[in-house]
Amino acid sequence: MAGYVAKRVAQSLLALLGVSVVVFALIHLVPGDPVRTALGTRFDQELYEVLRARAGLDQPLVVQYFDWLFRALQGDLGVSFRTGQPVTEALMQRLPATALLAVSAVLVGLVIALPAGIISAVRQGKVSDYVANAFSQIGVSIPDFWYGILLILLFAQTLRWLPPFGYTSLLEDPVDGLQRLIMPALTTGVVTGAILTRFVRSSVLEAMNSEHVRFARAKGLPQRHVFRHHVLRNAWNPIVTITGLQLGTLLGGIVVVEVVFAWPGIGRLALTAVERRDYPVLQGAVLLIAAAFLIINLVVDLLYAKLDPRIRSS
Amino acid sequence: MRLRLLALLSLTALIAVACDPGDPIDPEDPTAEVEETPPVDEEPDDPAEPTAGGTLVAAIGGDPDQLDPHTTTSSFAFTVLENIYDTLVQPASDLTMEPALAESWEVSDDLLTWTFNLRQDVSFHDGTEFTAEDVVASFERIAEEGENAFRLDAIEEYVIVDDHTVQFELNRVAPNLLEQIGPFAGLAIAPAAAIEAGTLADEPVGTGAFQFVSFTPGDSVEIERNPDYWGGEVPLDGIRFQVIPDEGVKLTSLETGEVDWIDSVPPEQVDGLAGRDDVVLGQVAGNDYWYMALNNDREPFDDERVRRAIAFALDIDVITEAAKFDAATPNETAIPETSFWYHDYAPFGHDPAQAETLLEEAGVSDLTIDLMVSGEFPETVTAAQIIESQLGAVGITVEIRDEDFSTWLADQGEGEFDAFALGWLGNIDPDDFYYAQHHSEGAFNFHGFSDAELDTLLDDARVETDEDTRKELYDAAAERIVDQASYIYFYNPDIVTAWAPDVQGYEVAPHGQRRFNNVSLDR
Amino acid sequence: MSDDRPDQPPSDEPAEEPRQPSAEQPELERPEGEHRPQWRQTLAILLSNRAAAVGLVVLIVMVLTAVFADQLIRFPINEDNIANRFAPPSADHWFGTDDLGRDVYSRVVMGARVSLQVAAISVTISLVAGTLLGLIAGYRGGWLDTVTMRAVDVAFAFPAVLLAIALVAVFGPSLRNTMIAIGIVFTPIFARVVRGSVLSVREDLYIRAIRSLGASDGRIILRHVLPNVAAPVIVQTSLSLAFAILLEAALSFVGAGVQRPTPAWGLMLADAQRFIAQGWWLSVFPGMAIFVTVMAFNLMGDGLRDALDPRQRTLIEARGAGGGEDE
Repeated sequence: MAGYVAKRVAQSLLALLGVSVVVFALIHLVPGDPVRTALGTRFDQELYEVLRARAGLDQPLVVQYFDWLFRALQGDLGVSFRTGQPVTEALMQRLPATALLAVSAVLVGLVIALPAGIISAVRQGKVSDYVANAFSQIGVSIPDFWYGILLILLFAQTLRWLPPFGYTSLLEDPVDGLQRLIMPALTTGVVTGAILTRFVRSSVLEAMNSEHVRFARAKGLPQRHVFRHHVLRNAWNPIVTITGLQLGTLLGGIVVVEVVFAWPGIGRLALTAVERRDYPVLQGAVLLIAAAFLIINLVVDLLYAKLDPRIRSS
Repeated sequence: MRLRLLALLSLTALIAVACDPGDPIDPEDPTAEVEETPPVDEEPDDPAEPTAGGTLVAAIGGDPDQLDPHTTTSSFAFTVLENIYDTLVQPASDLTMEPALAESWEVSDDLLTWTFNLRQDVSFHDGTEFTAEDVVASFERIAEEGENAFRLDAIEEYVIVDDHTVQFELNRVAPNLLEQIGPFAGLAIAPAAAIEAGTLADEPVGTGAFQFVSFTPGDSVEIERNPDYWGGEVPLDGIRFQVIPDEGVKLTSLETGEVDWIDSVPPEQVDGLAGRDDVVLGQVAGNDYWYMALNNDREPFDDERVRRAIAFALDIDVITEAAKFDAATPNETAIPETSFWYHDYAPFGHDPAQAETLLEEAGVSDLTIDLMVSGEFPETVTAAQIIESQLGAVGITVEIRDEDFSTWLADQGEGEFDAFALGWLGNIDPDDFYYAQHHSEGAFNFHGFSDAELDTLLDDARVETDEDTRKELYDAAAERIVDQASYIYFYNPDIVTAWAPDVQGYEVAPHGQRRFNNVSLDR
Repeated sequence: MSDDRPDQPPSDEPAEEPRQPSAEQPELERPEGEHRPQWRQTLAILLSNRAAAVGLVVLIVMVLTAVFADQLIRFPINEDNIANRFAPPSADHWFGTDDLGRDVYSRVVMGARVSLQVAAISVTISLVAGTLLGLIAGYRGGWLDTVTMRAVDVAFAFPAVLLAIALVAVFGPSLRNTMIAIGIVFTPIFARVVRGSVLSVREDLYIRAIRSLGASDGRIILRHVLPNVAAPVIVQTSLSLAFAILLEAALSFVGAGVQRPTPAWGLMLADAQRFIAQGWWLSVFPGMAIFVTVMAFNLMGDGLRDALDPRQRTLIEARGAGGGEDE
């Protein structure tokens, strides 16, 4: 196990290093001088020099990279070309909204997927299986931003039940915060649920067909007992895994839904940064998202390995 | 924003017609209200003690890029800053300039020395007293690093006479000086100490009706009542400016009571809102204009015939209707009909045949135009699609490039375009309408237009003190600009704002300022 | 749109190890000659799967729509008619008209061409590039393999939508650059799928045997490895097409894709959100078009997976990785 852990950690670190190189390279891929572009008509030689020096653009590339990396490791991701705000601060301001939405989406997803997936597996081939299948097929095919617009059309525009957009911290105003969370969480949650349903179904199916369960059944153990103690227990690991992975993906992947609901998250921050060519912010956001993804992946893999020794040995 | 966007420099330059201080002339009443809904139970000037207090939630269409009044160009920032800062003089609702931080002023006989007497009872939000030193520090900063430096280019020197008297020595006669120094928060007076310390960007400190509380980028800006406001008691406890980028969402939030006031109404919604009792609509003919410019530094747009051909090919009535529905007036010149300076001149009309003839004369075929617009101003994107189709009819291909506005500005500055569409806001003095844009030395002549005769006209008009002569010069200038299609003008939009019925005392200003010092909430 | 489509393998860890080789490729040693019957058999299985058959039919309809769009439209797609803006669906305008009075039906029809074109070309780019990378990495092994797979790891750490948006921003938004960006984003998935399949074949007795007989690498790859890689690649292609359509729509929606007035479905939805109070038809029809097309590709992909490699699906899903996993 220790070997496996070491190997996975090393791998993740390596990937993170690769990510940092790509993120760093980004600023140099762009045609033209990014600082100049960012300044636009407000061009001012002094400010230009300051920003360039601050972004370290007057140094050799390799020096720049290690400089940047070193400071990034200390939490200093530079300052925004546009607002002068420290990037780390901007990210921390946006992180709660994205985390809240991602976690809510996964919760909504599980609430849908667990019953749907289990029922569909147990009643394989029956009507409820078809319904669950159809749901998950629709869920993975529907463009989530379209579905979000339809929700706004229905709940905000027509019925006026919910505020159409925006974010309020749950700590500040729980009622308002929850109301605003409902539509974005449903939008991302249903799609997540559709994906999870498939995995829950197949995990349960596989568990049901495993020799271990067949043996238990052959022993004449009661169905319920077998299901609860053998099938679900076996199916649990893959479900936990995929749920974790979904969370990791969601943290960086809800850009468009954030746009639809004017949700002040990391994704929208990154999108705005792209549009405004605000490279320090873009670098910071992408680095954060990628790091979160890799870390969650790592944790999930390690958990999985701990729960399922077969992985380690293989 | 949308309506008010700033054209490059946010200019809410409101110059009235007046040239002489103390002699405000206002021949045509440029405010010409077209208020569609007589505000339902609203009594704006009702002195019957407004219910004091309450926090007003005001929706603005975007994030202020920063809160430094001298360097920002964001109309959203100005919506906030206009309530925090004051200027020396300020536009009245009839577009003349009235006293603000300057109580009164005199002009010397040679018209080159202006003396301003400052109010003596004003202090900044941090408690320091407002003096002549702050005026000079502010103007010097604007001239050095401000976005509106060009407004001050007639001023040679600032002389502090005493704590509450300051003199401006001019390098040329400037009949429109008041309109240059007072129109909006870009010319705000900030404390000399804060300017020295360089803290303005983080902590706005003004003399206005409200003082700064907090700014959460992407979310909101909060300001609270200035208890010592020199302009009298401020009814509201404070204002929260909530950033809501989507127009539809913004309006829905007003309807659902999420917000009390919105900075603009999407033009497509104006008709539907008129006559409703749960929303008050304020609509006033504005002084902004929207236009298209062709890059004179690139072939074949350096050829006047090609530019004119494009002007002939466009149907600005359709462009106006498409982009603004009923909330704008088509105009082939820049200055709106409601202004004293309006010149009735419309040589183009919609004449595709003429366009084709001109293109043929110029020997141009298979022309492709890279047209730069910004989704931050959706009307430019809408207009661009109509332009694409109308120019397509005369064989010109249009490739629309929709960019983030900051990128747009950068590309404009570097001349990276065949054509662009945008608007200019809040100009009132004709110098604001023409000089920076069309003079060959103009600060915002990004499209490289150059015409010696026009330069002479604009230079002369700028220092002409006789109003009728001045108007003649500007009429001639307008014709040269239109005839050579330096800009191809589209329309003058209305300024449209909306608020909840319980918001009392808000007035839509034709110059586009949004001030809440007299507003109260009737709850 | 979120990135969480089933074709994004979140981790390649399991791919590191050669996996249960016995179950993997049952027909490995089948003589080459029998490929055509297998193709027919695939189609038969596919058609017997009702969902996949429906998907196939819808796709054929969509492709025909795209090909014959010029004949199917009822009005020129960019012809504005301000007098008739926001007209609800009617006999003249089946899907109503938009903010400029353009015919929404005609634009949705032409949108099929844009959408399918972007999907087809971008997936072709990633298919070719990914297959090459995967083949070389998997067949050669060693440091080449390590470097490629670590690079793939890095690529997967980026959220697809954001990566595509950033790439388009770097290249400049246009139809061509959208296709290139999506192509790049999907390349790692194909590389991983192919490499996994190659690994499972490479050490196969049969391949070892002919290698020892002196067959050249090129010949082995072309004649023996590629055919075995085909099944998962075909499945992945179908699923990637679905995702490409979603991604293109998302890019257009946020303004980082093709430019107006191109009738891209995502662009139409962006306008629809602005005019949400003016007409439901603006959002419903373009969104429906995306949904139906994506669904068809997904159904096809699932059907193909069942037909070509029935074990793949359960294995993948049980492992908790995406459909792009490299069995």
